[in-house]
Amino acid sequence: MSRTLTLVGLESSCDDTAAAVVRLADGRVRVLSSVVVGQSALHAPFGGVVPEIAARAHVEILDHCIERAMAEAGVGFANLDGVVVTAGPGLIGGVLSGVMFAKGIAAARGLPLIGVNHLAGHALTPRLTDDVGFPYLMLLVSGGHCQFLIVHDHDHFERIGGTIDDAPGEAFDKIARLIGLSQPGGPAVDRAALSGDAKRFDLPRPLLDRPGCDMSFSGLKTAMLRARDAVIAANGGLSQQDQADLSASFQEAMADVLEEKSRRALDLYLALSPAEPVFAIAGGVAANSRIRAVLEQLCREKGTRFLAPPLALCTDNAAMIANAGIARMVAGQVDDMTLSARPRWPLDQTAPAQLGSGKKGAKA
Amino acid sequence: MPPKPAILAFDTSAAHCAAALLLGDRVVLRTDEMAKGQAEHLMPMLAEVLAGEGMVWTDLDAIGVGIGPGNFTGIRISVAAARGLALGLGKPAIGVSTLEAQVTGMGHNMLVSCLDARRGMVYVQEFGRGQPVSKPLICDLTQDALPDLPGKAEPCVTGDMADEVSRLTGWQPVAPVMSMVEGIARRASSRLDNDNPRPAPLYLRSADAAPPRDPPPVILS
Repeated sequence: MSRTLTLVGLESSCDDTAAAVVRLADGRVRVLSSVVVGQSALHAPFGGVVPEIAARAHVEILDHCIERAMAEAGVGFANLDGVVVTAGPGLIGGVLSGVMFAKGIAAARGLPLIGVNHLAGHALTPRLTDDVGFPYLMLLVSGGHCQFLIVHDHDHFERIGGTIDDAPGEAFDKIARLIGLSQPGGPAVDRAALSGDAKRFDLPRPLLDRPGCDMSFSGLKTAMLRARDAVIAANGGLSQQDQADLSASFQEAMADVLEEKSRRALDLYLALSPAEPVFAIAGGVAANSRIRAVLEQLCREKGTRFLAPPLALCTDNAAMIANAGIARMVAGQVDDMTLSARPRWPLDQTAPAQLGSGKKGAKA
Repeated sequence: MPPKPAILAFDTSAAHCAAALLLGDRVVLRTDEMAKGQAEHLMPMLAEVLAGEGMVWTDLDAIGVGIGPGNFTGIRISVAAARGLALGLGKPAIGVSTLEAQVTGMGHNMLVSCLDARRGMVYVQEFGRGQPVSKPLICDLTQDALPDLPGKAEPCVTGDMADEVSRLTGWQPVAPVMSMVEGIARRASSRLDNDNPRPAPLYLRSADAAPPRDPPPVILS
């Protein structure tokens, strides 16, 4: 028997406000609409996302996004079977706004409320876009996260490695600011690197000399600062070529680290003998052309399908949240009105804490 | 059928979850004090208030919500819930400032409404016969920073900083005549026929954010 479910999803855990309507029918999930309103312009002057500014924006944008998503999907409240919302991890002010919006709608319409983990949203996107079978290997690489996951089921994620400090997307933003490129940093560095010499600056490849899939990027940022300062000390500023060469050298170091760590993650994953091996990547950094090329080549070597969902479903969006909500709802995993917003919420609750501790708990 | 209009107002702008269910002339009040956990507590508490009158969400004609000034996160909890409810119910959500709500029913000629803004500051707004006569603002809790009111107006002051403000200004402290959340419900009720904008938080204090200190590099052309 096949069940039809239509859910609205809300996402507000970082600097994108998003709403989407997805439908499960005949065993497949389809995205009926997906609206994302970014806040880049609000945060650009500060060189990074400012949590309070993000929270202020979310609370006044969310309902407009929901209305647009429902109109574009041609769906009214009477057609909905549930409300899904990112309940963490993320910037708490934004997550909290989303959760309270979702509670309001769910209460008003008597609809089930489903809180999902933002990272599960990303990690389950290959199921939405390509109907990939379990288990598959996932690299989640964004402004806030960097981890390798073996996805065994919609609620069973095995973390086999990740960053022990900064996330690559955050490093791209910092680097861009350091060398005078625009925000967001990822696309700016990618563009500048096209005409750059990746060998001009000798940057470290952190943790490559150590076994396992863990990564570190804070030392790389420091090395970039030194390389930049050396050029400025010599010439009194940066030329466009310096910017390009610094971008290319940084991007190459990042790609080298991700390639080697992905190779090790793939070895661990392939040891499970998956029937149709898949390595999927998600998060904003998945859009980087150099990193993507390197990982594609690696997958060819390893006889594994490389999967990068379309960018709109790779970066933060609410379709992935609604999709994860469908999996939870089908499994009978529904929340109530006491649902909490969680700033930290590791996907793999069994792996030892890798990042963060104390009162707030592990970040990853 | 519940008496008309049926308005549910709530507020989490300080260390509480407060609700007022206005049913015609009658009001049902509930305030649960709490320093944290409002996001988890609010909706079940509101459902209990409704159930206590044998009502469900769809019996409401409007939502009233406290938009601050107050705790930023607390304001957002209520405003987000109110906007979600309004969207789902297809009924208006009406935002009422906490400075305005707490002077509801007070007909003084010159009344200053004040609230603790922490860090040695205070939120203030002047009212005449219950209606605002100045914009809400945040200022230092000093004689110089507080609004300059003509002495012959014999101003009164109310709110959680009324005694402190009174010591500095000589304005006469007076007690509110109803709880803040009842004030939200009654103000919302009086605006039921207006074309109300969606409730938006009234922060009065800018987000704590500073541009990066290290300047960008010089780009040679």
